[in-house]
Amino acid sequence: MLPPRWLSLLWRNWFHKAGLEQELDEELRAYTELLTEEKVKAGISAAAARRAALLEVGGMEQVKEQVREVRVGAMLETILKDIRYSIRLLAKHPGFAVVAVLTIALGVGANTAIFSVVNAVLLRPLPFKDPERLVRLSEQSQQGPGMSIAYPNFKDWRSENTVFAGLAASRFDNFNLTGLDEPERLQGRNVSWNFFDVLGVQPALGRSFRPEEDSAGGERVCVISYGLWQRRFGADPQLVGRQVTLNSESYTVIGVLPQGYRYGTPTDVFTPIGLRETDELFSLRDNHPGIYAIARLKPEISLTQAEAEMKGIAARLAQAYPKENAGHSVSLMSMREYFVGDIRPSLLILLGAVGFVLLIACANVANLMLARAAARTREIAIRMALGAGRWRVVRQLLTESVLLAILGGACGLLLALWGVDVLRRASLDIIPTTADVSLDRTVLGFTLLVTLLTGVLFGLAPAFQSARQEPGEALKDGGRTGTTGVARNRVRALLVVGEVALSLMLLVGSGLLIRSFVRLREVDTGFDPHNLLTMHLTYRADDDEDGQKGVNFYDEVLAKIKTLPGVEAGAVANGAPFLDEYDTSFEIEGRPPASPDQRTYAVSYSTSPDYLRALGLRLVRGRFFDARDTQQTPPVAVIDEEFARLYFPGADPIGQYLAANPAEGTSHVEIVGVVTHVKQFGLDVKEPIPAQLYRPRTQIPAQFRARTNASASLLVRTTSDPAALAPIVRRAVHEIDNTQPVYAVNTMAQILSDSLAAQRLSMLLLSLFAAGALIIAAVGIYGVMSYSVVQRTHELGIRLALGAQPRDVLRLVIRQGMLLALAGVAVGLIGALLLTRVMTTLLYGVHPTDPVTFTAVSLILLTVALTACFIPARRATRVDPLIALRDE
Amino acid sequence: MEPTPANLLQGTLDLLILKTLSLGELHGLGISRRIEQITNGTFQVKPGSLFPALHRMEEAGWLVSSWGESENKRRAKYYRLSRAGLKQLRTETQEWDRIALAIAQALQAS
Repeated sequence: MLPPRWLSLLWRNWFHKAGLEQELDEELRAYTELLTEEKVKAGISAAAARRAALLEVGGMEQVKEQVREVRVGAMLETILKDIRYSIRLLAKHPGFAVVAVLTIALGVGANTAIFSVVNAVLLRPLPFKDPERLVRLSEQSQQGPGMSIAYPNFKDWRSENTVFAGLAASRFDNFNLTGLDEPERLQGRNVSWNFFDVLGVQPALGRSFRPEEDSAGGERVCVISYGLWQRRFGADPQLVGRQVTLNSESYTVIGVLPQGYRYGTPTDVFTPIGLRETDELFSLRDNHPGIYAIARLKPEISLTQAEAEMKGIAARLAQAYPKENAGHSVSLMSMREYFVGDIRPSLLILLGAVGFVLLIACANVANLMLARAAARTREIAIRMALGAGRWRVVRQLLTESVLLAILGGACGLLLALWGVDVLRRASLDIIPTTADVSLDRTVLGFTLLVTLLTGVLFGLAPAFQSARQEPGEALKDGGRTGTTGVARNRVRALLVVGEVALSLMLLVGSGLLIRSFVRLREVDTGFDPHNLLTMHLTYRADDDEDGQKGVNFYDEVLAKIKTLPGVEAGAVANGAPFLDEYDTSFEIEGRPPASPDQRTYAVSYSTSPDYLRALGLRLVRGRFFDARDTQQTPPVAVIDEEFARLYFPGADPIGQYLAANPAEGTSHVEIVGVVTHVKQFGLDVKEPIPAQLYRPRTQIPAQFRARTNASASLLVRTTSDPAALAPIVRRAVHEIDNTQPVYAVNTMAQILSDSLAAQRLSMLLLSLFAAGALIIAAVGIYGVMSYSVVQRTHELGIRLALGAQPRDVLRLVIRQGMLLALAGVAVGLIGALLLTRVMTTLLYGVHPTDPVTFTAVSLILLTVALTACFIPARRATRVDPLIALRDE
Repeated sequence: MEPTPANLLQGTLDLLILKTLSLGELHGLGISRRIEQITNGTFQVKPGSLFPALHRMEEAGWLVSSWGESENKRRAKYYRLSRAGLKQLRTETQEWDRIALAIAQALQAS
């Protein structure tokens, strides 16, 4: 609370200033006169006494100024005065103002935009209750963590642990929604009954699951998303309790989730996982059907404690079930780490990069201000002579720079609004879906802070340097060549060196990312991704126990597609690169059976015969599948080159026999061919299982056919643009059976390109920032050299008059500029050597200290610097010695 | 040799002004001269320090000013202590005694 006395003084000082000033003037005059009289009395002549008195007072204006400064509200007043003055000054030099404001706007805008992403992804809590207590669990095998959980293991974990308030399983599942006007393919999840309780999410309508519904005999119930409720059910408030048809079975809708609910990829339907617990996929301990678990830690229990107990439980299970669980353990990860662990390094590097851009912008504006301060030496000297204290001058100059920064920050905010919009659209698939990128209060606070810091940062050096000057010196000879001039030049040179060094580091960073990206684009996928159309089919029908209906459906689809113009080959497959993956354990006949924890795995593909042609795989040896391979003929398999290299080194695999997936009982499978290895998991992914195994769909045992038919990829090789063929192929499928949804229609080229979206975005952003930095640094060098040439006009004139050739002058100026650039490059190279190490995780096939990148980038920077020096150097050669000398 | 006028410690000037005015109403030059007199010329207060201090102390409510006629029949601004100023003088005097004593003891300690 402000004391009223304070307020009334403020009022008086503000609104009755004229009276106060008059009184002060009178008071000081009276003082001087009294002093004069005192001296006259002491016997000095009137004139001499007056002069002595004035001298003793020591400058009326200065005393007045000092009195003004102690008044209540004086600070406020001077600040306002300074702002008014600054605005007048900036308006007088619009060119300078525009360049400075734009430079700051770029820096602040880029920082705000990137920070808004960092804020959304890394700082804001996940949209769940007490998200820091949430944990994600997976199984851990010999090959590493991240393996999905066998349902029996999950049940044991759930019953034995004492560290979680709740543990819930979840896996992706697809549902065909029928019975409404149009069938729709829905993404869904099978979840434990307490899944939403663990997350702390309450349904907006109805309720969530009950324990008794999470079991094989339970009633078929489902919870749906807010989006689905709006889209397909017209937001019907009476929906809860009604029946919907999912995968040809009737389910009762018991709840609708709230609008903002998000967890992982968007899903529309949730059913209890226990409904399927007697299904072989779930009941066998050696099946790992894509289940992952989430858990909420009990209060007082740390992640480490939970991990210790869970590892113990897993170890006991491994002992109790050596055949299935040997070598298996459990892996725990905080939910935040799970959602943002992958993206954190890129985000932090980008944040660092925009920080650099801002520093460069600051250095540049500081340089501009220094140049202007030099021109203002006289003005400032006069102000100081008239009674302005040093601190007063510093404050005035800082006000100017903060004002500039605020103008720049405001423009930067506009820029960020646009940038955030662009970023949000460009990064849809990259940023975790739990994050909502927006300019909230935290971001705005950050922007304000950055803006003010910027203003002080670039204003400080010029302000102090101006205030340090001696007014007498500056006024004596017009301030042309004072000591301050030299100091100022040294600061400017240092700033330029800093700018160049920072730009070089940014350029190296973006250069490394560009080279990684090129490397990634050059990675051999092992198949031909061009002219390849892909889509997903999910055949389901009533009374199709042996899957024969499905087999007929796919045969018909393939036959029909082959007749379409522009189609070269078509294939159906379970398992295809970048699309979906299955793996299988296998044994090689004639070799001792491996112990359970040494079991060998391969990525498995069940394909139709034309898969080889459709994917564009190369046959290395033997043959691929054809019409000969049926249920009646001996089972055959094709392996990839990696399989051959790993398990048949130096031997011919053709004619050898395998037992593939012993659980399914397929034994004595003959290897008939070897094909090229494909990149299954992504261009930059180290493959957890390198070996690949192909089996013909025609030889899938009847009891597994319905399951494989329920989810398959359709691959169509075309002679021209595959995207143009998509609607035609879709129509052809619907002509055969219009109840079967066709979805995830895409071209392989697009899928490949999307798989690099994250790398592309960080590469583009970093390159953009580096380019911006390069331009700002070039402007900086240009500015300093231009100014230096103007300053040295006199000296250059003398040199020319004494017989120096224009060539010599050119060399002189360029050498001065290039020395700065070289110093900057040297500092920048050292910085880059130290800093690029943090980028290691973002690089592919390029070492963080890649000499090619370092050299190329240095050359680019030096070339730009040379150009920036050349223009002022040329101007220097045109100095007319006569004019230059007469000027003095 | 003349005694060099000591630099006024921060806060000392306030105390001296308060002390000076406790004896009666004075104008600016009067205060200056009185301080010189009672400190035997150790402290010479220049207008650059005197007037900001007077105005600050007036705004703080310790001093009250009024225009009056000086000894040479001119208008001059006179300052006197307010009740708050008197209280301030007591507080600062005690504070000063305490510090002076402490420093004196410290210097004798060796």
